[in-house]
Amino acid sequence: MKVMSTPRSLELAITNRCNLRCSYCYHFGSADDVDRDLPTAEWLQFFAELKECAVLDVTLAGGEPFLREDLRELVAGIVANRMRFSFLSNGTLITDELAAFLRNTGRCQGVQVSIDGEAPAVHDAARGRGSFDRAIAGLKALQRNGLPALVRVTIHKHNVHHLAKIARLLLEEYELPSFGTNAASYLGLCRLNANDLQLNAAERSLAMETLLELDRKYPGRIQATAGPLAEARMWLEMERARQTNAPATSGQGCLASCGGVFNKMAVRADGVMTPCGQLPHIELGRINRDSLRDVWQHHPELQRLRDRQAIPLTEFAYCRGCEYVAWCRGNCPALAYTLTGDDANPSPDACLKRFLEDGGRLPSER
Amino acid sequence: MDTNAKPIANPSVVLREEFDDCAVLFDPDTGEGYAVNPTGVFCWKRFDGRHTLAEITAELRAACEDAPAEAEQNVQEFSEELAGKGLIGFEVQ
Repeated sequence: MKVMSTPRSLELAITNRCNLRCSYCYHFGSADDVDRDLPTAEWLQFFAELKECAVLDVTLAGGEPFLREDLRELVAGIVANRMRFSFLSNGTLITDELAAFLRNTGRCQGVQVSIDGEAPAVHDAARGRGSFDRAIAGLKALQRNGLPALVRVTIHKHNVHHLAKIARLLLEEYELPSFGTNAASYLGLCRLNANDLQLNAAERSLAMETLLELDRKYPGRIQATAGPLAEARMWLEMERARQTNAPATSGQGCLASCGGVFNKMAVRADGVMTPCGQLPHIELGRINRDSLRDVWQHHPELQRLRDRQAIPLTEFAYCRGCEYVAWCRGNCPALAYTLTGDDANPSPDACLKRFLEDGGRLPSER
Repeated sequence: MDTNAKPIANPSVVLREEFDDCAVLFDPDTGEGYAVNPTGVFCWKRFDGRHTLAEITAELRAACEDAPAEAEQNVQEFSEELAGKGLIGFEVQ
């Protein structure tokens, strides 16, 4: 695959600080959890380089990005350098005044707010007491001010039985156009709390069945690029392909699931460039010292991750003989790293063969 | 359109040359992008308020061995299309 001259988008961890400690946070407890934040001037200097590289948009994350005291200055720097921006937030610090400020820039693509339950007891189970009420207040502030609110529901043991109520709250009561889902994954703090949080095969089966049912009830309004809904769609497609012996399409049968390294990069709160916010241990260089364009085009680790796409799954002992191998893409390299110690492996987390061996069942198709 | 018109790029718009043969004009105020080919990029880089459409066409003909007869019309249509999208304006005489 051809590589663009520069990344199209970057995810920037503008702070390592957060006012919450969610028990499945991918940031804390990982290499992303660094001991300092960059000063304003460093980010502003970097934004000028992003303009030179014709980067189109940045996602401001953390930590909790709204903890940056100089946030308005940073946003002004992004706007002045001809980019759009979005946020990944826990929602608890969003006020009407902040939402109005972001809207008035005309460049804010949206704010992703995490809502994991339909009531405090469910949401706060993994996010801490009081966080639900504050996140909902933030969500309402975004809505009142006409800013796109992109809600993400992270599914875990404590909310897997509440998905229908959560969907009703978000889509009916709050009238969101849609919301996204994923699952508590073996990254960051979740690695310490995996037994208490991560879905087992039976719970995953339930989540898939429920989400597909909700998808039929609310057509097109529940999204997923990872987690049970994405897996349900992917695995049902693989099962259909197996039954019909369908020809493999591009990338199937290889470690080709992740295309992120072909269009985006990330920067940690300490200014270290990484391939992805979830591969923070791979240090590619430092902003304002190393050229973004040069790192993007020539860094051997990025080349290696791009070349990963050509590694056939049949090279892996566990995959040999798998009846789905021809249609599998090997899944997330970050989870492959945290689960196996090597991102050049397929990720066991989203392995259909393993899921079925563990007693999981594919959802029924209607 | 007057071939003496001098197009000038909207300074907010980003030209992103992703590959040798493909570029995007991106308007960060709307979030919309428009794919442009290398000829479009050639023109865009001359939409500086100093070059007339006739001059741009002449430079294009000089740079390309096989510029078609309708190149002038194509450049005009391209600039009209971009003006319609707010990506360029015209220098006031």
